Amino acid sequence: MSRFRTPILFASLLLCLTTAMQLSAQEPDGMAPAGGGRGGRGGGRGGRGGGGAGGTREFLGLGPAPDAAAAKKGDPLYKQNCSTCHGDNARGSQGPDLTRSVVVLHDEKDEEIGPVIKSGRPSAGMPAFPQLSADDIHNISQFLKMQVELAANRGTYGSTYGDLRNKVTGDPAAGAAFFKTNCVSCHSATGDLAKIGSKFQQAAQLQSRFLWPTTPGPTKATVTTASGEKISGNLVKNDDFIVSLRDASGEFHEWPKDKVKVEAEDKMQGHRALLAKYSNADIHNMTAYLVTLK
Amino acid sequence: MKIQRLLLALLPVILCGQGLDPKTISLFKLPQETWPTYNGDYSGRRFSDLTQINQQNVDMLKIDWIYHISSVGPQRGVGTPTIKSTPLLVNGILYFTIPDHVFAISARTGEQLWQYDFEDKGGHLVGQRGVAMYGNWLYFLSPDGWFISLNAKDGKERWRKKIADEKLQYFTTIAPLIVKNHVIVGVGGDAMDVRGYLESRDPETGDVQWKWWSEPLKMGDPGSETWPNQSAMDHGGGMTWLPGTYDPELNMLYWGTGNANPVFAGQGRLGSNLYTASIVALNADTGKMAWYFQASPHDTHDWDNVETPVLFDATIDGKPRKLLAQAGRCGWFFVLDRTNGKSIVSKPFSGTGNWAKGVDAKGQPIPDPDKEPKVDGSMIDMPAMGATNWPPPSYDPQTELFYVNGTEGYGVAYLYDTSANPEGYGGGGGGNFDSRSALFALDIRTGNVKWKHEHSGGGPGGGGGMSGGIMTTAGHLLFTGDSGNLVAFDPANGKILWHQQMMSGVSNGPSSYMLDGKQYIIVGAGDSLYALTLAGKH
Repeated sequence: MSRFRTPILFASLLLCLTTAMQLSAQEPDGMAPAGGGRGGRGGGRGGRGGGGAGGTREFLGLGPAPDAAAAKKGDPLYKQNCSTCHGDNARGSQGPDLTRSVVVLHDEKDEEIGPVIKSGRPSAGMPAFPQLSADDIHNISQFLKMQVELAANRGTYGSTYGDLRNKVTGDPAAGAAFFKTNCVSCHSATGDLAKIGSKFQQAAQLQSRFLWPTTPGPTKATVTTASGEKISGNLVKNDDFIVSLRDASGEFHEWPKDKVKVEAEDKMQGHRALLAKYSNADIHNMTAYLVTLK
Repeated sequence: MKIQRLLLALLPVILCGQGLDPKTISLFKLPQETWPTYNGDYSGRRFSDLTQINQQNVDMLKIDWIYHISSVGPQRGVGTPTIKSTPLLVNGILYFTIPDHVFAISARTGEQLWQYDFEDKGGHLVGQRGVAMYGNWLYFLSPDGWFISLNAKDGKERWRKKIADEKLQYFTTIAPLIVKNHVIVGVGGDAMDVRGYLESRDPETGDVQWKWWSEPLKMGDPGSETWPNQSAMDHGGGMTWLPGTYDPELNMLYWGTGNANPVFAGQGRLGSNLYTASIVALNADTGKMAWYFQASPHDTHDWDNVETPVLFDATIDGKPRKLLAQAGRCGWFFVLDRTNGKSIVSKPFSGTGNWAKGVDAKGQPIPDPDKEPKVDGSMIDMPAMGATNWPPPSYDPQTELFYVNGTEGYGVAYLYDTSANPEGYGGGGGGNFDSRSALFALDIRTGNVKWKHEHSGGGPGGGGGMSGGIMTTAGHLLFTGDSGNLVAFDPANGKILWHQQMMSGVSNGPSSYMLDGKQYIIVGAGDSLYALTLAGKH
């Protein structure tokens, strides 16, 4: 256990490691990205792969990314030749769902998809498409893989559903009334929250933000030692065994938790109390109001 | 003696060498010098009879050795290797895993005997729960669906069988369960709407003995009335990725099934979606289902219900009962009669359970459609990741309390794919609002929280919290992870009795055994396995 001799280094490293641990304990398969104000940029567990579509793809083991340019070229070809039977987004119509197709999911280099398009499946009623070139087949194949990607790789949801996540359904007037009753003791629509509506790309991000702000700044605390001495400063750590803070002069202090008394301010008190009170309508109304503060 | 030796020679090969006789695994009795299966015994109680380490001397508990995984770098998509497996201990050798790798090390010194390395071609590396052992053979699952048998002597591969297709987004992380001459293996995977199943495989050949599907096979079959059509059923999810439990007397396997698919978008699968997010009781020889209990009907919050269904016997209203208890990811605590699945307790332990409108006649929560994911978000008093997860809980027969690490707080679920036939996740959970990590001690007769250790919160940036699984012992100790420490609590009241800082948070379920008259506590924390013994016991 002599590998770490510097308590501060150990403490901060431990915090990092235990934070990571918390993430890994939340499996499987956690969350689609987005949600908590992250706007779908590869949050959740997929985010551990580096975030975004690429990181989530790596985490999920989805194989190589589809070729977006080829998929784009394949789109009109698919619509022209395939969509009547397989549906506009390849999820099936009178013909089978292709995004869940074993042939499509097994295909690596058109070796599975190609022969089926080229020769058809006469016994199942699928005609052959001999007129399609190898390039055409490749482009259709990439279009199909893009449809798989958009469903299976939740790292793509943030961009796919960006507009949807900006949709506001609440009543701004009701939101303003809720704000007046519940929030004005700490916040002001013309003060700290002025222009808050223009600070977030998506309404859902703003919604998460007012429900539970994630960066409230340093927490002030006062520690009373066994001898009665009181030391105040910004909390660095406050777990079940260690409390540490940095005082006004920048000095670092650390104690075993069970030897001292800790009084920490609760910056989230107001937000915490509201969580139990909100109805979904309250939340949507508040969001509708806050997005008007531009 | 001679006769005995002759008899031994005539017995099947499984009794020879360093092997493990499957009879070593029993419902409630853990052999002192063996930890023969993921949960130790078949009950999943993770209660050890050992008392050498106890409340009087636990302050003398010290790290004896550390095995650090130095041969494996960052793993695809997950980073530094993390030990989530519970090591088996057989004849002084520990067998444990991380994704793609199996290690055999000396339980006395932590020195490595051999290492088996696998190169995957896909699947998730999110976890690996460990190996199973039958005779001289070990069984291991690769992330991409290979069921692999190794020779325990040297880690050499005997054979491998493909049991799940990673290209359909199945993945395999389970520690197989040995029951008689069956190797029970389950699967994971919910990125791409596949059908869950559980298989029994032959320990010698690896061939399928039976296969149970998480959904009815065709419309008209019992349970199919909870699905709108064949396609929804064929893509309905219900993964079986965590080891279940087994009652030898009833010859019944108890298994949890995962969430329904598509995960957050339920409009294409209206109905309760049997047998996803359920506990099922299966005949161990045939895989035929005897009963089910659905914890999260028509799940739309990614609440896998795979958490260990823990078996124990206790007296209820003056009568001895065979019971099963589970703290589900849906935030409810369930106690059932394990002979028939009848409900005894159904009660939320995290939050108020406000995603449900109450319980039905079977004691199953009735989901409130207003709390399902919405385009503009729908909030419930449960954190976005659910109330608990795979880390093993424990039942202590001395306190008659059920212990689980869980989380309280609020989360918002969003619907993205609003089409009539969504695929994949179709939405997402967001927010861990006012998230509070805690160790819960639950009364098995009422479901009431007897005591709760709420974590301090870590500090301004959060972090820390309760971590890993739980073990209770006859020494009146409860071991689990807290704030990057291994901690011993008093199981009666939640008082912290001892703690030891690790280099990472506890990441597996702690276990214990005796060796050379010394009791060991074994625990994984990140990329290292720790052995602890009482100081002076050398």
